[in-house]
Amino acid sequence: MRGRLAGSILLGVPALFLAALFVLPLLSMVVLSFWRTENYHIIQDWNLGNYWTLATGGAYVTFLIRSLVMALIVSAVSILIAWPVSYAIILYGGRYRLLFTLAFAVPFLTGEVLRVIALQGLLGPLGLINGVLMAMGAAPLRFIMYTNVASAIGLVYLYLPIVVTVIYLSLLNFDPRLIDAAKIFGASPLRAFIEVTWPLNLFGTLIGFALCFIPCLSATLAPRFLGGPNGTLYGMAMAQQFGESGTWALGAAMGVVLFIVSVAVIVAIGTRIDLRRTGFTGLGRS
Amino acid sequence: MRRTLIRFIAKYSLLLTLAISYLFLYLPIVHIGLAAFSKNFNFPYPPRWTLDTFGRLFANSLYQNAFGNSLVLGIGAATLSTLLAAAATLGLIRNPGRRTRLYLALFVAPLFVAEVLIGISSLIFNGLFLEIQGNLVSAVLANAVHCFSYALLIIATQLYRYDWRLDDAAMVFGASPMRTFFEVTLPLIWPGLLGAFIVTFIMAFNNLEISFYLLGATPTLPSVAWGALRYGVKPELYALATAVNLVVVLGLMVMFVLMLTGKVTFGHRPERERAV
Repeated sequence: MRGRLAGSILLGVPALFLAALFVLPLLSMVVLSFWRTENYHIIQDWNLGNYWTLATGGAYVTFLIRSLVMALIVSAVSILIAWPVSYAIILYGGRYRLLFTLAFAVPFLTGEVLRVIALQGLLGPLGLINGVLMAMGAAPLRFIMYTNVASAIGLVYLYLPIVVTVIYLSLLNFDPRLIDAAKIFGASPLRAFIEVTWPLNLFGTLIGFALCFIPCLSATLAPRFLGGPNGTLYGMAMAQQFGESGTWALGAAMGVVLFIVSVAVIVAIGTRIDLRRTGFTGLGRS
Repeated sequence: MRRTLIRFIAKYSLLLTLAISYLFLYLPIVHIGLAAFSKNFNFPYPPRWTLDTFGRLFANSLYQNAFGNSLVLGIGAATLSTLLAAAATLGLIRNPGRRTRLYLALFVAPLFVAEVLIGISSLIFNGLFLEIQGNLVSAVLANAVHCFSYALLIIATQLYRYDWRLDDAAMVFGASPMRTFFEVTLPLIWPGLLGAFIVTFIMAFNNLEISFYLLGATPTLPSVAWGALRYGVKPELYALATAVNLVVVLGLMVMFVLMLTGKVTFGHRPERERAV
């Protein structure tokens, strides 16, 4: 009885904290999205005007589609890079595996602003790549200066560490004896990968996908400083509603749209996961 | 023969991908690092060394002020999120029940909500519904929401392998639950808590998108850097980024040395070590 009470306090306090500071704000964003803003004043008059603007204003639809395409491409590319990287660390890292993975986490811990600054040092007109090209007398590469390609490279740079970490953790918890078993029964390495390694690590891969997709979808910094005039993404347009234009209600509606899209993606991913197939043994061990 | 060749190619293409990824990740950081220490900061090859930019950075009172605020923000959010996450993890593992899944879903939900959405929704909630002006406290709380999930995952990986029979043993010998916690559980799980604290501190310290909306006019290092970035990159920013990078690398090196000497393991499980 006493243990149960302690348990409900242990679980209850964080749950209350999240309810008050995470769920309530999200709900208030939903409420605000049904109001409207006029001359920087919020008028409490329930209507669907904001959503109507978002659905019919061509620019917003373009921004959303562009953000979706961008986030999809960036997450797919990140996973394509992260798989061989984590696999190489697992296979050849030996006792320094953790060091290799931490080395991937260092840039992730440096903060987005400073990493965008670093990226401008690589990609910008005066950056490393174009600097070297011009020093050698070649023409600078136009496609990495303030374009959507530059934004995409930037987003991969920003979120690759998290995808690598997630896939690495997934592979670390995967029992490699299963591959040996498959090979003993005559499977080629490729077949063993497709039929054992890949499905058993699908959970980690999809989590990595989600953790890359969601911040990319609402990215504000990278498109602003790396993308060009045609590079406005949804998150960046949303941030502007709270800054320059002062139209909070419209911004809240954009936030709700982003939130709904993120939830839809997570649900779509969630339905593809069978926890038992990933070797998940349940919570707690009692 | 053909088999060995394929294996050889597979091995080296994997290692090559790894090397290229590290290069991609670190090249910009090294580039701005060189630029920060160099007089010719636009294209520092070969660098002509100087420490001027660091001098200007550390003399600038705006940056000093911002550093202080970031420090408060980082420590506050990290302490809060680590404590809450430790409680949540203990609760989840020790008292599994029907509602465990529900709690777990709530606890990891902030991972799947973009930072900018947490920032904006907290701004709306605080500014519009509670009518609180932007301040450090609300920024700490909003950052703690985001950091909480990360802290939970870090502590959970450590605690998942913890042997609860040790606690039971202590209680059999008459220790109160409180005493058991402080004399048995805490000494064994503190590395996980420390790891969570360090990571969440660094995250909150560097956070722009949540803090920006909740701080009002209070400057933090990321927001000052963001402002400077808008008006063209200055050498001070290179120096700032380099300084933060150096501190992060130093912190992780300390963690690594502690691990190498066997003081802490951070959830590392040697029994699973095995050449594939």
